[in-house]
Amino acid sequence: MANLERAPRKSFNDLIYDLIFKNYVWQSIFRTGYPNTPRNQMLAVATNVFLHLHPTRIHRTHVKITHTYCLGGLSFFMFLGLTVTGVLLMFYYVPSIERAYQDIQELEANVRFGQLLRNMHRWMAHAMIILVLLHMMRVFYTGAYKPPREFNWVVGVVLFILTLLLSFTGYLLPWDQLAFWAITVGTTMVGSAPVLGDESKFLLLGGFSVGPNALIRFYTLHVIGLPLVISIFMAVHFWRVRRDGGLARPL
Amino acid sequence: MVSRAAAAIRTRPRREREAEVLVWPDLVFIEFISALIFSIALMVLSAMVNAPLLNRADPDTTPNPSKAPWYFLNLQELLLHMEPAWAGVIVPTIALVLLAAIPYWDRDTQGQGVWFGTKFAGRLTVFGFTAATLITSLLIIWDGSLHVVWTENVIRGLGLNSDFTWPGGLDWFRNLRGFDTGIPWDSLGFTIGGFTMFEDWRAIPLGIPGTTTDPWLLNLNFPSFLSQQIIPVATMVGLPVLFVLFCKGLGWIHSRRDIALLIFSAFIGVYLTTTIVGTAFRGQGQDLKPPWDIVVLEE
Ligand code: HEM
Repeated sequence: MANLERAPRKSFNDLIYDLIFKNYVWQSIFRTGYPNTPRNQMLAVATNVFLHLHPTRIHRTHVKITHTYCLGGLSFFMFLGLTVTGVLLMFYYVPSIERAYQDIQELEANVRFGQLLRNMHRWMAHAMIILVLLHMMRVFYTGAYKPPREFNWVVGVVLFILTLLLSFTGYLLPWDQLAFWAITVGTTMVGSAPVLGDESKFLLLGGFSVGPNALIRFYTLHVIGLPLVISIFMAVHFWRVRRDGGLARPL
Repeated sequence: MVSRAAAAIRTRPRREREAEVLVWPDLVFIEFISALIFSIALMVLSAMVNAPLLNRADPDTTPNPSKAPWYFLNLQELLLHMEPAWAGVIVPTIALVLLAAIPYWDRDTQGQGVWFGTKFAGRLTVFGFTAATLITSLLIIWDGSLHVVWTENVIRGLGLNSDFTWPGGLDWFRNLRGFDTGIPWDSLGFTIGGFTMFEDWRAIPLGIPGTTTDPWLLNLNFPSFLSQQIIPVATMVGLPVLFVLFCKGLGWIHSRRDIALLIFSAFIGVYLTTTIVGTAFRGQGQDLKPPWDIVVLEE
């Protein structure tokens, strides 16, 4: 494709361009060179597995930073980062009350960049909650929940709840005093529900108080159950943004 | 970049092309940069601040204060002012349901896709947020009896009365529980046609004689019910209604969108205030304390 657009005489830039984008290895991965014409740029977005979440063209007002402040995208980016750091953390962590705390200590002391890894995971989780809340506010104040986007707003509320639950289930895993008592306080609140309070609390903890069963339940929910569910809801969320005609704008 | 790409598609006579730009490079570039900035910022933060790790979990040593993760501290804050079932479960459930229901109630598509789309949106937002923040703070101060401490200190400090204490007649106004403990409920019984009504306000029989009903229905502790349920719930329902009436009176409200703007902004104010108070201003025994006086004891 790119061949048709080659300049008649090779400039220095073209040489560099060819060197980078027209070698055997690059083309085996990306199939084409850098997309430098509108047609190829649209094709790049439409045919790339990661970029095809986007439309190929987008309304001018929506690329202004001040319209979305990138908040939805950044929430998603945090989720991706949390998945990467989370998988790495799983290499070092065993969810049993005998090992959990010690594993975290050893991760911090003995693993190269272990402390950094844990910090990244922790701060990204906090950042994600704040970003999701801010994203909700931006959607609200731009009136972007109005028809036909009602349902996507509801999907958003579910995403917000799932984000909190993901963070809450992760909170227990270090098995330190902070974790233990925060989860004790949190699940006691669940237990005060007027109907099925004690039952839900028991189901969540696998017992009457925070112990080994609670740890394995929180762990499983945190590393596989909730991430799967939130991925499905995110897929629906992004799909609906496209189906509802892109981002909201004045009629 | 924008102009070249846009110029190239302008030749195509299709709908609104001239108002559109290409996702590559215009959007992809912005996304890349914002992701990069966040990655760097988080890296720097993580290099400087370590995630907390306290002692190993010990069910026999309770930290005081014990706190939920910060994003649930708004609920834990509510817990101090009302029946746990309301604070921990019913209020958040209703709040989430109402939040999700906004688009089904405010369906007018006018003003969508622009920031603060109505004429008075700015004022409604600022008023809703500020008023809710102020009122929430005042309610928390009142329920923490800080007004009692401050009044006593001021009157003593001014030398008006060196051993002034909060008057017993105003005990009911010390805090929310004052409506329970500060009112002489025992002497408030009255008689109608020979029947003594509410001899004991703390055990008003609700069950029908001769039947077995759920035990908690049998006797109602009215003073506690009043202070832990009626007043908090009436406040949470009443204040938003007052807000709407007030702004209607000012002529700021012309659509459901305006009401949504006002209440949502007020909600954000309450959400933030309770989270901040719960996180930074609650010390041992969940007493109100300035952040620098908060220490965690293990008991
Ligand atoms: C994990 C959480 C979430 C992620 C990853 C996410 C992601 C996104 C992204 C990438 C967009 C495209 C536009 C933008 O960036 O603003 C978007 C749009 C949208 N989001 Fe979310 N979102 C999340 C949570 C929420 C929440 C909590 C709500 C509301 C309660 C919500 C409601 C919406 C709506 C209605 C749109 C369409 C906006 C428009 O048309 O302008 N989302 N979301």
